[in-house]
Amino acid sequence: MANEQGKDTRLVLRIGHLYPQLMSVAADRGNLFAIVKRCKWRGIKTAIDQIFVKQTPDFTQYDLILFHGGADREMEVAARDLQLKAPSLREAAESNTVFLAVCAGYQLLGHSYKPFEGPELKGVGILDLHTEGGSTRFMTHIAIECEFPECGKQVLVGYENHSGRTYLGPGAQPLGRVLAGWGNNGKDGYEGAVYKNVFGTYLHGPVLPKNPWFTDLLITRALARRYGQVELPPLDDSTEQEAHAAAFKLAMAFKGTVSAIDATPWRERLSPGSTSRSL
Amino acid sequence: MADYSKHGGGGTSWPGRARLALAISAGKLAGASGRLFRIGGGTSLPGMIARRIDPNVLRSVMATTSAKKIVITGSNGKTTTARMTAAIADASGRRVSHNRTGSNLLQGVTSVIVNFADIFGRLDSDLLLFEIDEGTMPVAMPEIQPDVVVITNIFRDQLDRYGELYSVAKALDKLLESLPETATIVLNGNDPQVASFGQQARARKLYFGLRTTDIGRPVPEHAADVIRCIRCNEDLVYEVAYLSHLGLYRCPNCGYELPPLDVAATSIHLDPRGDGPTQVTMETPLGQLELTLPLPGVHNVYNAAAATAASIAAGFGIEKIPAALSNIRTAFGRLEKIQAGDQTIYLAFVKNPTSFNLVLRLIAQHPGEKHLLLVASNTVVDGEDFAWLWDVDLEEISPQVADVICSGTKAEELAMRLKYAEVPLDRVRVIHEREAALNAALQNAGPGGTLYIMASYTPTQELRRIMQKRGWVKPYWEE
Repeated sequence: MANEQGKDTRLVLRIGHLYPQLMSVAADRGNLFAIVKRCKWRGIKTAIDQIFVKQTPDFTQYDLILFHGGADREMEVAARDLQLKAPSLREAAESNTVFLAVCAGYQLLGHSYKPFEGPELKGVGILDLHTEGGSTRFMTHIAIECEFPECGKQVLVGYENHSGRTYLGPGAQPLGRVLAGWGNNGKDGYEGAVYKNVFGTYLHGPVLPKNPWFTDLLITRALARRYGQVELPPLDDSTEQEAHAAAFKLAMAFKGTVSAIDATPWRERLSPGSTSRSL
Repeated sequence: MADYSKHGGGGTSWPGRARLALAISAGKLAGASGRLFRIGGGTSLPGMIARRIDPNVLRSVMATTSAKKIVITGSNGKTTTARMTAAIADASGRRVSHNRTGSNLLQGVTSVIVNFADIFGRLDSDLLLFEIDEGTMPVAMPEIQPDVVVITNIFRDQLDRYGELYSVAKALDKLLESLPETATIVLNGNDPQVASFGQQARARKLYFGLRTTDIGRPVPEHAADVIRCIRCNEDLVYEVAYLSHLGLYRCPNCGYELPPLDVAATSIHLDPRGDGPTQVTMETPLGQLELTLPLPGVHNVYNAAAATAASIAAGFGIEKIPAALSNIRTAFGRLEKIQAGDQTIYLAFVKNPTSFNLVLRLIAQHPGEKHLLLVASNTVVDGEDFAWLWDVDLEEISPQVADVICSGTKAEELAMRLKYAEVPLDRVRVIHEREAALNAALQNAGPGGTLYIMASYTPTQELRRIMQKRGWVKPYWEE
């Protein structure tokens, strides 16, 4: 069986990919691949603009904006540049453009980020939240449960790698409830944030490929802005479901560990390759 | 020299010496039984056992030896650079002790001296060559007190293990400050980050790299990590990018640029079919060398330049370098060509987007459709976070893929990645069990066919063990 190739629907999804090089630390470009391919397989065209520092496009022209993670050094550059982009980004958020913001991108959509060391960074304030750096880093598999009117209760799986602790204000809803892992701050049991069509999360992995329900939710909401309600034809997601199941199993197996790598049994450390790990 | 007696082991007292002898003997015994029972070659076990008995075993032996000590660290190219340096030293008449199996955590490093020293901790070597994992450097370096430190490059590698790229870099840079004036730091000048190391260090610095427009691309590939200025964060401008972020760079804002290269490959001819040999003209402070490397790819030019610089730093001269490097063989799992009956296997150990992309580009130059076996696992050595797979440009090989078997604990993620690289689903199969996966992949390749295996560390070793049982390869500790 060949991969699906949908008939041309004449629909075009306009995507703005914010800082594609600067903020790309954990291969989050996989999120873009997931969106583009799942549109293509349904005959929906995608037009992608890469948006770099010093550029100030009109963000309201985009149906979907991607803003991924970066290390602290990159984040500083992005934070400074974002202030130029902030008014248009806020306008886009208010006019229902879909945002997917991951990790540092998520933090910078909030009001502020205070690293463990160094000066506080100002965010764009689209999401009512602020973040403080913690002394330990959450680096482990994560699973959260979300609920949306379109699809009911669903599980998101991924990998989190952050020292920031994020606290939501009353203007933002959490994206989901933590089943395994740490989420926003490791205390309140929630992960991510939602405001209108703006989604922020700590989930890397990248998050979209192995959570096809979430990719399709983002695509549907992004299309709705220009074309109204569009029914996406179902795809054969067996490969994605298997990857989802494998990641869920890992998240459950590592539940409670701050760092997955430190929790790996010592036998593995002693003699790499002496055993095959089966989880 | 550090005072190790207060740590309760080693030392010159009788109990200390007895403990050291016991530690080394027990380590040797563990290594021998490991090899005897073929359970893992004793590459890290002897060191681990010895350290359990005497935690100062490495420090004690290092403090008394008069041999030159070279440490090779960095993300990629450690093993081959170390092998090349060992070959040059050997050809120059030096007796070399070397952790040549690439077991590069603290136990593996300790194993070298357990294997090569006598039970009194005396070494009969002129050169101790250590390949050391960059994350292990902060603990290993004070114990070793090296004369030469080589840093090959720093790529994003197992983020979940060492935190982010810059913290690894910062830690390494800081360590270099502890070296004395008599030591030499050998740095990759083409790596904007590595080239900035050692500014506060007292040790002499020697830069190696490439300086040519024979090869390379105008801008760094997507997976490149360090493309902003180390000093001012401005985007660097590249005259040419050779491999990931390695190239001829300059900051348009503050003027930071690559340092003058002491050892530079100034002319390079790569084999267009992605195999060896590679012809290189290497400029050095001691004269120009014409090298013929039997290995493919620009990465091996870097390894040769690093080894040449290390040899110069250690005082071996350059006369024996061409002969030594013309006989170098691929290290275990570095696109290692293996004859499996009438079939051919290329085994490539891939651990980050840079090494994976490099291998993909080389085999894309090989003629014909490709039969692949991809294996990835999550273990402490392979990393838990496998996100980097999405920075691998599988799209580049996807039109050439005849069939793929995915295996390992990350098999499902591999299969999904291939789907999104538009490899047709009916060409992809998931088989978790390692031997069954290998058999199915060889069956795909067909009689007389060629199979390409790309695997993370643990599966590479597992597959090699199967091939060893079948008589296709020697045990890696005999390589």
